[in-house]
Amino acid sequence: MRGFGEIAERLRRSTVQVGASDPRRCSGSGVVWNSDGLILTNAHVARASEMQIELWDGRRLEARVIDRDPRRDLASLRIAAPGLEAVTPGDSGALRAGELVIAVGNPLGFAGAVSTGVIHSIGPLPGMARQRWIRADVQLAPGNSGGPLANAQGQVIGINTAIVNGLGVAVPSNAVTAFLRQGARPSLGVTLRPVSVGLEILGVEPDGAAAAASLRQGDILLGSFDDLSDALDSGRDVLPLQFFRGNRNKVREAFVRLPAKVKAAA
Amino acid sequence: MANELAALSNELAAAVEQAGRSVVAVHARPRFSSSGVFWREGVIVTAQHTIRREEEITVTLPDGANAPATLAGSDPGTDVAVLKVESAGPAAAARACAPPAPGNLALTIGRSEDSGVNATMGIVSAVSGSWRTWRGGRLDHYIRLDLTLYPGSSGGVVVSTAGEVIGIATSALSRIAGVAIPATTIDRVADEILARGRVSRGYLGVGLQPVELPDHHKGLIVLSLAPDGPAAKAGVLIGDILVSLGGSAVDDTDDIQGVLELHPVGQRVEAVVLRGGVSRDIAIVVGERPRGN
Repeated sequence: MRGFGEIAERLRRSTVQVGASDPRRCSGSGVVWNSDGLILTNAHVARASEMQIELWDGRRLEARVIDRDPRRDLASLRIAAPGLEAVTPGDSGALRAGELVIAVGNPLGFAGAVSTGVIHSIGPLPGMARQRWIRADVQLAPGNSGGPLANAQGQVIGINTAIVNGLGVAVPSNAVTAFLRQGARPSLGVTLRPVSVGLEILGVEPDGAAAAASLRQGDILLGSFDDLSDALDSGRDVLPLQFFRGNRNKVREAFVRLPAKVKAAA
Repeated sequence: MANELAALSNELAAAVEQAGRSVVAVHARPRFSSSGVFWREGVIVTAQHTIRREEEITVTLPDGANAPATLAGSDPGTDVAVLKVESAGPAAAARACAPPAPGNLALTIGRSEDSGVNATMGIVSAVSGSWRTWRGGRLDHYIRLDLTLYPGSSGGVVVSTAGEVIGIATSALSRIAGVAIPATTIDRVADEILARGRVSRGYLGVGLQPVELPDHHKGLIVLSLAPDGPAAKAGVLIGDILVSLGGSAVDDTDDIQGVLELHPVGQRVEAVVLRGGVSRDIAIVVGERPRGN
């Protein structure tokens, strides 16, 4: 069917490779969101403050990370290159299960690979707070992260993010729009894993809010992802957090000061 | 330009929406729910292998509400289980009037409590006539699916792009692919389960092994006999060679299953055995296979 070929070709021109400054470490894909140099990718792809971008025509450019939202797994980057071919965002709120979708990305370092399938479902993922995700019956590989997921009109309706039980998981395009409009939501700056009594801290970002409150790797926060997510979105500057450290009979408390919200400096 | 593609996309989404109105999530095992389909008023069918408990089964209905369900019965042979619920459910969806052809697009539609209806798409990769499963049941058609069945897809409805029901999906009947249990098979099994609570399978109570006979014929030698089983009661002895059952020659154990399907439990079936080189006619009353066997 010629439709897929045309859509794939247009998406390829708006899909970039996003890597760390060390060119041997290829980490993922990104989407040209507007023609004056705004690139969207996953927060887990853009880990540093400066990244390397390779455009579809082979040009390599330095990118500055403008904003990161680790909870929504989104990051925005800016490159100094005018006149880029940007994608057309679609309305992810209107998606229906069964619609055809097409993913473009750089899986396993292979640039511009295309895979197609259908929307599997749209909704929350168990244990990952209440936000909505798109699940797609498309074959993805690690380098697809940050790349576009488009509908049959070629509009980008999601950013490919993860593979869960074989299904592609994407951030809905409406969440991207909200992220660009409102900036990143506050986060603790930790990696968490659910355990029987709460959430175990697997890692602490050196400059994050949790590190400043002396939370450490191995501490177990009491409560669920949903509770934590609600607390972070409550608008308070300081959050009291209860946790265990080693001894599970003693509940400790930390006061985490969330960073003041910085509006995305376009 | 891409209008053809957009039209197909809309057709697929419409098929999912329509068929999804009769698809439920079934909670009868740990971790992953499975899917099920309203087959008749108040009757849901699902894949038997996803039912891991007989009590406290619940279903998530198309409107999102949870409701208790009772297990009316199940047939491991065809991997069909039948549940009953208070809710009547929607009117039955249109059936495909003929089995699909290889290469036809097919959708499997399931449901989960968290994110509602879900869909996967692929093609029908092979279709054949009547097929015996490794579990011993018989499907009216073998319909192999070239699509991904994710955890929770089993028991979901398999439809054409026009939304016509082909059957329900199961990952348990083939090691290499998903299979659609045909709608006609589900009708037959559901009828029997609703009438009798189970699917009874004919039973002779013999252990058989194919053997070559001197005149290039084949037969099945009796290696074991269930004590007081139907064959033992009729006078069959160990060492007899079964050459015909119900009037048709038998040279494989599959032939026996085929004959038994035509002879309900309690009916007499004529057997011909060779004993000491002499042919004898023996009438065996078909028994019911003991449960869990």
